[in-house]
Amino acid sequence: MNRWSLLRASAALEAAQLARNRTFIALTALAAVSFLVMVSLFGLTGSFAPVALIDEDGGTLAREFVQSLDRAHHSFALKFMSKKAAVAALGSGRLVGIITLPAGFSNAIASGQTVPIDVRIDNVNVDLTNDVQRALPAAIVDFGVVHRFPGATVKMVEHDVLQHDTGYIPYLVVSALALDAMVIAGILGAMATAREWERGTIKMLRLSPASLIAVLAGKLIVTGAVAAAALALAVLVIVFGYGVVPRAPWATAFALLACVAIFTSLGAWLGALLKRTLAAVPLLFGMAMPLYIDSGALEPTRFDGETIWWLAHLSPVYYAVGVLEWAFHGIHVTPEPIYVDLLILTAFAAIAVILTLGRLARGKLR
Amino acid sequence: MNDAQLMPPRQDEPECTPAVCVTDVICQFGRIRALNGLSLRVNRGTVVGIVGPNGAGKTTLIDVICGLIRPASGTVRLLGHDVAGDTTAWRARIGVLPQETALYDEVTAVQNLQFAAALYGVPNANDRIAAVLELVGLTKRARDVVRGFSGGMQRRLAIGRALLHDPPLLILDEPTVGVDVEARHQIWAHIRALRAGGRTVVLTTNYLDEADALCDRIAILREGVVVAEDTPAALEARTGRCLELSCSQENAAQLSAALGKHPSVLRSESVDFGVRLYLELAATPEEVVHAARNVCVVDGFRTRSADLVEVFRSLTGQGLSS
Repeated sequence: MNRWSLLRASAALEAAQLARNRTFIALTALAAVSFLVMVSLFGLTGSFAPVALIDEDGGTLAREFVQSLDRAHHSFALKFMSKKAAVAALGSGRLVGIITLPAGFSNAIASGQTVPIDVRIDNVNVDLTNDVQRALPAAIVDFGVVHRFPGATVKMVEHDVLQHDTGYIPYLVVSALALDAMVIAGILGAMATAREWERGTIKMLRLSPASLIAVLAGKLIVTGAVAAAALALAVLVIVFGYGVVPRAPWATAFALLACVAIFTSLGAWLGALLKRTLAAVPLLFGMAMPLYIDSGALEPTRFDGETIWWLAHLSPVYYAVGVLEWAFHGIHVTPEPIYVDLLILTAFAAIAVILTLGRLARGKLR
Repeated sequence: MNDAQLMPPRQDEPECTPAVCVTDVICQFGRIRALNGLSLRVNRGTVVGIVGPNGAGKTTLIDVICGLIRPASGTVRLLGHDVAGDTTAWRARIGVLPQETALYDEVTAVQNLQFAAALYGVPNANDRIAAVLELVGLTKRARDVVRGFSGGMQRRLAIGRALLHDPPLLILDEPTVGVDVEARHQIWAHIRALRAGGRTVVLTTNYLDEADALCDRIAILREGVVVAEDTPAALEARTGRCLELSCSQENAAQLSAALGKHPSVLRSESVDFGVRLYLELAATPEEVVHAARNVCVVDGFRTRSADLVEVFRSLTGQGLSS
């Protein structure tokens, strides 16, 4: 029996079945893009929390203080408002806070007096409260340095490790590619095996004298190819939609294909284990989010504490994010060198494929 | 269906070995013993029916024969090969129609057969697929998606798939379940053609008329064992000759009780027109009728052979579709 012919026949059958489910394929591609949108929304959330600024003074120093406040790091958007409108907006939940520069602010500062700045915060979310608490002292120090107030003798001198900054959303959408691979390749792999039980066709496979390695390989090559196509679409969206162009396209492609191989195999295992698509798909989604979050997807995992960092090493997503962030942005988010990340990712992929084709075809499917 | 397209049987196995030989097989699922020391022998070139009520162990037996379930003890040999041994030696030699047809319903009939041909390494696959489609009468629907097929068409396609690699042994698990009368008779004709072509066929069925119409021998299963295995005629003879006596309902119970002790009567039962008696084949019905008339007024009587339903009921104590 020719294994190559069998592999081609199995691939042709899987392709024919997927071709009959064009809507599903379109939704799969859409899912790849929707994850980019999801992480972008995550990045945007809280970045423009509206905070009212009431300038009851209107003097020069008050305006310069507002400029210092703008320069300070924070995640809120300052809006000049009247006191009445601001109070009404805060009461109706349309503002996070109100910062009031009192009348006589400029004169008091000029004469060396301490001026209390009234801040009212809707402390529904302590994260935003903390942000205001951090931003105001920073603005006050900056204001003092600019005006050479006595006592303001310390200032930060920043030296960046990297020559360029990386925006948070561009960082997130690149790591989301690993999430895409995990979910899409996993689901397609799980469906490829679980449907054999759902249709009862597993019985025919088990009764045949053929090598199920070739059958399984043919099916998974096709589902992997569909997952890779969905990822290619997501990469195009990142390049043309977000304007983030990979600096190392080959490393990008390699990391993504390794992820497809790993998660197609994992999905195939789960599908064979659970025998039901409806059971395998939610489990894959459930597994995807913790693996994704604990992979350096939101920031380098080494900043998240030793335990989380070590746990992350068990997941291929950690190495994939390491390679992808380097390939797109030229940044190192893992302490391991990129070639080590690539080698480990390759090892994960090889082990996943060998275990799936070997053990699954000889054990679970038989 | 076209009998002429069947290939001649292959002669590469010694004819002396049975096609299927199941010996003392025990199969246990938790606390349930599905097969309880079951033995069965199927000679080559015969059609053997396995009948039994739901839960008797028919599908378990088929799965054990096909090697899908490994029994706790006992042996299964197919075409001379031990099922527990080298599976490649016999898997290519059997064709199986599972109860649920197991077709890829999102693709066409041809695509299903192309994949099956690859699984079994069928040479000249396209020609063979065309021949099989002709054989099962689906040539015109070859390029149609299987999901749109009727139950009967799906069964015929599944039978075609089981035949694709020209196996000398076919195992059909309830081949006509869920199909209409016309499709059922088409499938029957096809199974007869297979036997005429020298194939060995093992089938399970819930329909006794099907077993009676198709099978050279019938094995009746009850609670995981074969309670009887013989030709349909011999099984009917085993149940005895049937004597039906017409009388009033008031007298029927009295008559049944009285004649139940008669030495020629194997079994008696009350029916809506009176009493039905099963007599030993050597018995003289007139003698029993005379004895009955000594008990009460008998309006009339008739004798006939027992049918397979009655055989089944006498052996299993249960009813079944007919």
